[in-house]
Amino acid sequence: MRVVHYLNQFFGGIGGEDKAHVGATVVEGPVGPGRGIQKELGDLGEVVATVMCGDNYFAENIEKASAEVMELLSPFNPDVVIAGPAFLAGRYGIACGAVCQAVQDRFSVPAVTGMHGENPGLDLYRRDVYIVETADSVRGMPQALSKMVTLAGRLAEKQKIGRPSEEAYFPRGLLVNEISDQIGAKRVVDMLLRKLQGQSFESEVSRPSYDRVTPAPAIADMQKASIAMVTDGGLVPKGNPDKIEIRTATRFGRYSIKGIDTLNPEAYEVNHEGYDSVFVREDPHRLVPLDVMRDFEREGLIHKLHETFYSTTGVANIVDTVRQMGEKIAHELKAEGVSGVILTST
Amino acid sequence: MRLELDIFDIKDIQFAEKTFLKDGVLYINRDEMREILETDARISRVDIELVHPGDKSRILQVADVIEPRAKISKDGGIPDPVGQGQTSVLRGAAIVLSDYRDMGDVTTSKDPNGEIIDMSGPAAEIGIYGRTHNIVLMPQSGDRVTALDYQAALKVAGLKAAEYLAKVGEALEPDEVELYELPNLTEITSGMKNLPKVTYIFQIMSLQFEPIPGEPVLYGSQADRIVPTILHPNEILDGAVTSPLPALNVQTYQIQNHPIIRELYQRHGKDLCFAHVIVMTAPNNVSEFERVAGITAGIAKGVIGADAAILTKTGGGAPELVMARTAQRCEQAGIKTAIAMLHMGADISDAKFGASTIFSMPEVDAIVSMGFPFMELTLPPVDKIIGRPGLLQEESPINGEVVKAIRWIKGSQCQLGGSALKAVRY
Repeated sequence: MRVVHYLNQFFGGIGGEDKAHVGATVVEGPVGPGRGIQKELGDLGEVVATVMCGDNYFAENIEKASAEVMELLSPFNPDVVIAGPAFLAGRYGIACGAVCQAVQDRFSVPAVTGMHGENPGLDLYRRDVYIVETADSVRGMPQALSKMVTLAGRLAEKQKIGRPSEEAYFPRGLLVNEISDQIGAKRVVDMLLRKLQGQSFESEVSRPSYDRVTPAPAIADMQKASIAMVTDGGLVPKGNPDKIEIRTATRFGRYSIKGIDTLNPEAYEVNHEGYDSVFVREDPHRLVPLDVMRDFEREGLIHKLHETFYSTTGVANIVDTVRQMGEKIAHELKAEGVSGVILTST
Repeated sequence: MRLELDIFDIKDIQFAEKTFLKDGVLYINRDEMREILETDARISRVDIELVHPGDKSRILQVADVIEPRAKISKDGGIPDPVGQGQTSVLRGAAIVLSDYRDMGDVTTSKDPNGEIIDMSGPAAEIGIYGRTHNIVLMPQSGDRVTALDYQAALKVAGLKAAEYLAKVGEALEPDEVELYELPNLTEITSGMKNLPKVTYIFQIMSLQFEPIPGEPVLYGSQADRIVPTILHPNEILDGAVTSPLPALNVQTYQIQNHPIIRELYQRHGKDLCFAHVIVMTAPNNVSEFERVAGITAGIAKGVIGADAAILTKTGGGAPELVMARTAQRCEQAGIKTAIAMLHMGADISDAKFGASTIFSMPEVDAIVSMGFPFMELTLPPVDKIIGRPGLLQEESPINGEVVKAIRWIKGSQCQLGGSALKAVRY
C-alpha cells in the first residue's frame, strides 16, 4: 500500500506562523507525524511521499492550492492519502479536508484525515471525506494516527466501512437501512424496560438540535407596508416550470401576480405529496390568499401586495436546504422593499 | 377478555365452483364473491385476481391489505362480540385492495402507479405481501360516485371479502389456536404487583388527509372526531380498528397482527404488566395536538396508572409531533416512554443537524428506528401487471425494470414495529 501524507508547514518542519505563506512542496518518504504513520503501517505499506503547504497559502486560495498539491502527489501513485491530523487548527483542518476531497474527486483514490469535533473543517468536509475524531491538540497524536491508519488501510483495500462509532470517524450524514436481528416491536419493549430499570440504553435515532428563530419586530404602520406571499404548500403554475421536487425540495419558484386579482385554478397545480391537495386545486386562494390581499390593498389596509409570490414544497425537507432557501427568499424580498410576509403552510 | 384465533394455514388458493377450504387449499367461487361485493351501489364491477409467492406479477395502486378473518361460532349460534370468543383466520392469505379509479381522481399519491406489491424479486423479499397468497380486488367506480365515496366502498369491499372467505373455517378444525387473554384494568395487576404497568399508545389515524366519510376505521365508523380512549388489546387484534386510507405505512393486515400488542402480550406476567391500549388520532393543528396529548397522558397516568408507555405514529410530520408531544406529556407526568418510528433524513447533507426527527425534546430520548422510507430498490421486469397502470407508461413501463423507493412498496415498512429495518447513520 502506497501512502502519500499531507502536512502543513508547522508539522512539516518548515516553520511556524512566519512560514504559513509558503507554497506546496513535496519530499520523498515520511516527515514528522508521517514517521508515526510508517510505524503504524509496519510492513503493510509505505509512506512514499509527504506533501507540505503553508496554512495561509492554502486557506487563501483553496482551489489553486489543492490543484498544486494534486500535481505534486500525482507522480507517486498513492493507494490512499492521509492528511493531518489537524486537531483544532482551523486553517489546517480546511486544507486537510480539501486535499482529501480533491484526491477522491480527481484520482478516485480514498483519503482520510483527522480533526477535533470543533474544527471548522469538519462541517465543510464531513459529508465527502472520512474524518477521524481526534483530541484538540498534538497530545492526541498517537491515538489519531492509529485510527487514521486503520481506516486508511480498510479504504485502500475497499473493505466495507463500519459504523462511525466502530471506526471512530464523524458520521457523514448518510442514512442506511439495515436489517436488525430483532423486529422493532421487540427492540422498543427492550429499550423501554432498560429505561424503566435505570439501565443504560442507546436511542437508535439521535436527537437533532434546532435553532431558535427570533421573530422580527412588528410592522409599525401596515398602511405603508409592502406585503409578500410565501408558501410551502407547493402551488406552482401548470407544468411546474421550476421543476420543484414533490418532496425534499431544494428549489423554490417566484411567480408573477402583477395585475392579476384572482388565481385561476386552471393555470395552477399543486406539487406536494404530503397532503390532500384537492381543496387547493379547486381554489388556489385557500393556500395563496391573493383575493383577500387584493381587497386589503384596495381598502388601504396595506400599501401594496408584492408582485410575485414564492412557492416551494414543504415535506420531508432537509433543514440546511430549507434554511438556505429561506435566506435567499428573505434576501430578495428585502431588496425589493418588502416589509412583511404572509407565510402559509399545509 | 378472552379471544381465540383459529388459525388455518393457507398453502394455496384457487378459483373453483364453490368456496371452501381443504388440505390447506382455499377454493374460491369468484362469481359468488363478486356478487356479494357488487351489491354496493358505489361499485359497478369487481374484478378479482389471484397471485402467489414467486409469481412474476406486480400489483399496482395498492390501497390496503387485509387478512381474511371472520367471527365464528362453533355451535352455530351468534358469534361473541369483537375481542372475545372465536375468530377464524386464514393465515398465509391476504386481500389486496387495488384502487381502480382513473388516476385523474387520485389526489393523495403522485406516483402514477401508487404503491405496489411484487410477488418475486427484492420487493417481495423486503415486503410481507410477496409471501402471502393474495386475492386482489379491483372494484370499478359506479356512475357519479365521488372519490371519497369510492374509497369508502373500496375499504368495505375488502372487509366483506375478508369475512366471506374466512367463514370457511367455521366448521373446520384449525391448524393452530392462538389465545389472547387479559383481565380488565382493575384486576390486571393481580399476581404481578411488582411488575411495571406498561400501556401502548396507538395513533390510529392522521388528519393530514381528509377523513373519508363512511370509511370504517373504529368499530365501523370514521374516527376523526374521537377523543383518546382506552381499548382492550383484543379488540384491536380482532378487527375493531382498520387502517384509514391512504393507509400510510400501516395496513389493516398489520393492525390485525399488531406486532407491539403481540410483543406486550408475550412479555405480560414476565417482564411487565400489559395495561391495555389507548387509541388516539393525530390532528393537524397545534391546539388540537395539545388537547389530545394532554387527554392521553391524563388517561395513562390518572386512569390506567401506567408506569411506562410505548408510542407509535401513523403517517408523516404532524403525527410525529403529536406522538412526541404525547410522549413528553407522559414523561412530565412520571411515565417512562419509548417510541418506534419510521424516520426521515434523505441521503444528503443533514449531518450537521442530524435531522432525522422533526422534534427535539430532551425527555423523548428512547427511540427505535423502523428505517427510512427513501431507500431505493431496483425491481426486475414482471410478466403480469395487476391493477390499473398510471400515466407515464412510455418513459419507464411499469412492467419493466423500475427503481422504486421502498416508500412505494406496500408492506416493506411498518410503523407498528413489525419489520426489522433499522436506519443507521454513517
